[in-house]
Amino acid sequence: MTDLSADETRMSATEGPQGDSTGERAALSPIRLQLLQNALTSITDEMFSALTRTAFSGNIKERRDHSTAIIDIEGNLVAQASQSLPIHLSGLIGLVGAIRAAHPLETIRPGDMFIANDPHEGGGSHLPDINTAEPVFIGGTLVCFVCTIAHHSDIGGARAGSMASGLTEIWQEGIRIPLIKLYSAGRRIDDIWNMILLNMRMREERLGDFNAQFAASRLGLRRMEELSARVDAPTLRAAFAGILDATERRMRSAIAAIPDGTYSFEDVMDGDGLEVFDIPIRVTMTVAGDAIAMDFAGTGAQVPGNINLVFNGLQSTVSFALKVLLDPRAPNNSGLLRPVTITAPEGSVVNAVAPAAVAHRVQTGMRVVDVIFGALAAVLPRAVTAASNGSNTSAMFYGRNPRTGREYVYFETLGGGSGARLGRDGKDGVQAGLTNTSNLPVEAIEAEYPLLVEGYNLIEGSGGAGRTRGGRGIARAIRPLGHVTEFSGSGERFRVAPWGLEGGAPGRTGQFSLRRDGAEAPEALPEKASRVTIGPDAVLVIETPGGGGWGDPAGRKIGDA
Amino acid sequence: MPMQSWNVGIDVGGTFTDIAAVNLSDGRMEVLKLPSTPASPDAAMLEGVARLAARIGISPADFIRFAHGTTVATNALIQERGARLALVTTQGFRDVLEIGRQVRPHMFDFHTDAPRPLVPQERRFELRERLLADGSVHVPLDEDEIARIVDAVAASGADACVVCLLHAYRNPDHERRIGAALRSRLPDLFLSLSHEVHPEFREFERFSTTAINGFVQPEMARYLARLERGLADLGCRAKIGINQSSGGLMPLSRAAQLPVRTALSGPAAGIVGVLETLGDASGGDFITLDMGGTSADVSLVRGFTPAFTYEREIEGRPVKLASVDINAVGAGGGSVAWLDTDGLMKVGPQSAGAVPGPACYRKGGDQPTVSDANLALGRLSPSLLDGAMELDVAAAERVIAAIADPLGLTAQETALGIVEIVNATMVGAIRQISVERGLDPSGFDLVAFGGAGPLHGAEVARALGIARVIIPARPGLLCAEGLLNAPLREDYVQALGVSLDPRGMAALGDAAAELMARARAWFESEGESAAGSAGLGVDLRFVGQNYELRLPLPEDATEDSLRAAFVARHAEMYGHADAHAPIEIVALRAEAVMPLPRAAEAAARAVSGPPVPTGTRDVTYGPEGPLTAQVFRRDGLSAGHRFAGPAIVEQVDSTIVIGPRDIAHADGRGNLIIELTHD
Repeated sequence: MTDLSADETRMSATEGPQGDSTGERAALSPIRLQLLQNALTSITDEMFSALTRTAFSGNIKERRDHSTAIIDIEGNLVAQASQSLPIHLSGLIGLVGAIRAAHPLETIRPGDMFIANDPHEGGGSHLPDINTAEPVFIGGTLVCFVCTIAHHSDIGGARAGSMASGLTEIWQEGIRIPLIKLYSAGRRIDDIWNMILLNMRMREERLGDFNAQFAASRLGLRRMEELSARVDAPTLRAAFAGILDATERRMRSAIAAIPDGTYSFEDVMDGDGLEVFDIPIRVTMTVAGDAIAMDFAGTGAQVPGNINLVFNGLQSTVSFALKVLLDPRAPNNSGLLRPVTITAPEGSVVNAVAPAAVAHRVQTGMRVVDVIFGALAAVLPRAVTAASNGSNTSAMFYGRNPRTGREYVYFETLGGGSGARLGRDGKDGVQAGLTNTSNLPVEAIEAEYPLLVEGYNLIEGSGGAGRTRGGRGIARAIRPLGHVTEFSGSGERFRVAPWGLEGGAPGRTGQFSLRRDGAEAPEALPEKASRVTIGPDAVLVIETPGGGGWGDPAGRKIGDA
Repeated sequence: MPMQSWNVGIDVGGTFTDIAAVNLSDGRMEVLKLPSTPASPDAAMLEGVARLAARIGISPADFIRFAHGTTVATNALIQERGARLALVTTQGFRDVLEIGRQVRPHMFDFHTDAPRPLVPQERRFELRERLLADGSVHVPLDEDEIARIVDAVAASGADACVVCLLHAYRNPDHERRIGAALRSRLPDLFLSLSHEVHPEFREFERFSTTAINGFVQPEMARYLARLERGLADLGCRAKIGINQSSGGLMPLSRAAQLPVRTALSGPAAGIVGVLETLGDASGGDFITLDMGGTSADVSLVRGFTPAFTYEREIEGRPVKLASVDINAVGAGGGSVAWLDTDGLMKVGPQSAGAVPGPACYRKGGDQPTVSDANLALGRLSPSLLDGAMELDVAAAERVIAAIADPLGLTAQETALGIVEIVNATMVGAIRQISVERGLDPSGFDLVAFGGAGPLHGAEVARALGIARVIIPARPGLLCAEGLLNAPLREDYVQALGVSLDPRGMAALGDAAAELMARARAWFESEGESAAGSAGLGVDLRFVGQNYELRLPLPEDATEDSLRAAFVARHAEMYGHADAHAPIEIVALRAEAVMPLPRAAEAAARAVSGPPVPTGTRDVTYGPEGPLTAQVFRRDGLSAGHRFAGPAIVEQVDSTIVIGPRDIAHADGRGNLIIELTHD
């Protein structure tokens, strides 16, 4: 691959000044290790772009809701594509553990492929994310797995799209796939395959997306085989270990710079989508030397609504938050979490157990990021932000286009204000936290759907005041043209405002409202609004939360913006 | 002296201003490199033009054509030194430039921000009017409203104004009316209308492209006026062409109107230069590697046709105009090697730049760079620019030893590692534009240029399985050379948004006739030659998709042939296509190209056998240690010369490294071709 042929010698574990032919941990020079890390990451990047390119659904092709990775036989994530979604780390962390629990390594053969999606039994984090793993053999030895994750736009269950609010059990959310073998020695096991496909809507699109995953996996396998022409199995295994050690070192050196101590923070969520009630999210962090213990005791019990996070999801969220705070350019691998011990009460909303419903786990993950920032604000003031819009505000319009007579679904997630920073205002109108998907242009929406976007702007005054202010939320006003449409939406921080820091004011909460022509005042809708009917004489207004401010507003100076 | 006719190409870079001139009658070429004058780039140019004319022994009046690549617009944008800009936009959409696509620039870095909008909130004016996606009027624009907005713009003190209305790509009437009112009331105001700059849908990208145009317009207009005057003062009445990001020239007046078209023109001239100088050295499929001091640009050319893109950004701001598709990475001679907190060595993307530069440049640089590594390995010549620049070998070895110690490696291993890592970065960039688009790079040649490209070309090619590396005659002056022969070029686009059905085909036919008529009118207005030609392209997508594929539109295209071509292309790109799904015609494009008079080819003298080396030196290629390499001078090579590595070829503007088992030969156009030996 890439650069490794430059010295025209086949690399082996015995090379280098500290050569040690005895095997597993043979030292590779810091230059060889860097080159191999680049080579492995570029394999996952190539798998990622192949999956993007060949997928059918817009969810993968345009929203890039997928990831690719290389995982070693112990289950350590060694390399993940640069553009992978942070929350997907969870599916990858659990995957090989689930394989080993069901299939001893010595029984695995070339050409096998495993798939899973179940958060409770298969190492996943919510059902639409289907994970695949294919073993890589070099010289007859199993050295690692190449893995893909893709969010399928339907995985069966009670409602089309498999992401509806209001469900209370995992069985309602779609087909549950434990860790199973889908291919055995290169041959697909059609009994299983047919059963899985039968349980999903939009068969053609599902087939297309599955094929894209399989193609990306085979590409990864081929690239690993090409790499093995220059790097033998013991060297590769030594490189895996060396890469994880290196990432662990960079995290430890960043943690060591945090003053020792115990830091805690608590916030509450708006509700679980079924009812409005306080759901506390609490973290207590103990920093000792170059390690962190993070405990979520005090966090609320798992909820009936589908915002529960399983433990893998919590781990990936913690990994994301710490990378953001300590080392944004660190590679994505299991070394990130080695200096960190995570505990959370079993059966809590951040360590949910079966049969918890989990589709909207990201809403809870967003709040976990906020509380980790809050806990470390006093000691990492330059790294944290005040609370952000903390939400993945989503809006869906469903109706029949009067011009074509065809049904349409317009779905979008909106950004908001992010929290103020020390010496700098928060970002206005962006995706915060675990997600970073783009908007749809207004000119594209209006060309495609019978909808008129009457305004799309930042909300004045929505960022919390402060010496530096929070980022501003977004308002988008939409009117159906010549027909009646049905709106469903989901938001967080519509009730519990994003907090400020050091005396900064909280950001404005978000809201959905309906403005009827001629009416005095807009009509407020619930934060998890379901199937609201809107005619052409009314405008649905989505307002997303602003970020919290930082410091006393009286201290704001001209140069602070 | 008889009257002569010369073409001049001038490329102004950050460090050097390069000038190439060719005599149209006999193909004789003269070149000049002089330090740039960034505060007023025309100063170095005018001085260079005068000096070059004197050196050739002609009058500046003998320069009849003047092709210029300029970074004035790009720099104004990067340094945010531009117009006091006002924006007039549809009511409700004041913040489109600020919200953008609502994404943060880096997933994990919460402290990197999107660039500031070019128009502050107090100079954004909302106009009561509204068009729908089909171009129909939803809220009419009345005269009182126009008067109100014109007053507001006048009171804002803006010196430039952009008008960006929703759906103006479909119906330009409202933009035209407000534009005319602004123009008559404020004749000195620089004005850009979104439907003129970039008449395509997706409001943020159109507004952004238009705002950039407005922001750089006053600066560019002043610069071009100064340049024209300066040349006239020298007695030079040459026709001036300004290079565009698409690799073609536009007249001065057009450049003053649409300066955003120059914003990405830097790399385009280099590609045109390669196309011009390569001749039959390549079969036409090649990858270019342009490596300078801070970065490397790679691009892919198939059948002598460069890839184009409409999806570029400058410092995070989208520019949706035709530009040569370049993949840029932070890998240059000045890239710094550093020890990261994970204990591994990284190279770049930080660069020591021109100041302080690499340690070996004796300008105070104290960090190890790629150039220091090349020097320590004996690859880079210790004396550059014909002896005008002596490098400090001891300083290079000192800074490399300083990083080698904590790595536990020898200085040689470290220097080799620096080169390997920077090569890996370039290899990765090339894989992105080849392998990741389904193309195997081993079927391509590698054309290496820029000051540092020839030092690294062979190793980069070897890692990609490429068999041949081509080094053009003047790798450091290729942009100026490219400008000499660049054609005039104009790009037209018309948004359609119709179904691929009989009605849509009729609309497409009308649009094609309209764009071809505009192209013909342009050919006539230039009065240059009847040699102009225009090609049509059409953007198609399956209904519901958010991305388009571009296909050529032949004259005999039918609904069925377009469908078949689109389905085939979709399958090639994405691995699948539904032959029966409805298709939308998004836009029609025309690229009009008018070649200019060219110089005759200078005849090459052919020789055979090996050239005479000027000496030998120790060069380290790999862990086995230094080998004795023959050293040649580039100007001592003639067509037919053939020699084997290990060898070094030195020239004023670059150094070429030839590997131990590789064979090099010179061709009749001055290219050096290196045939690589693979294992």
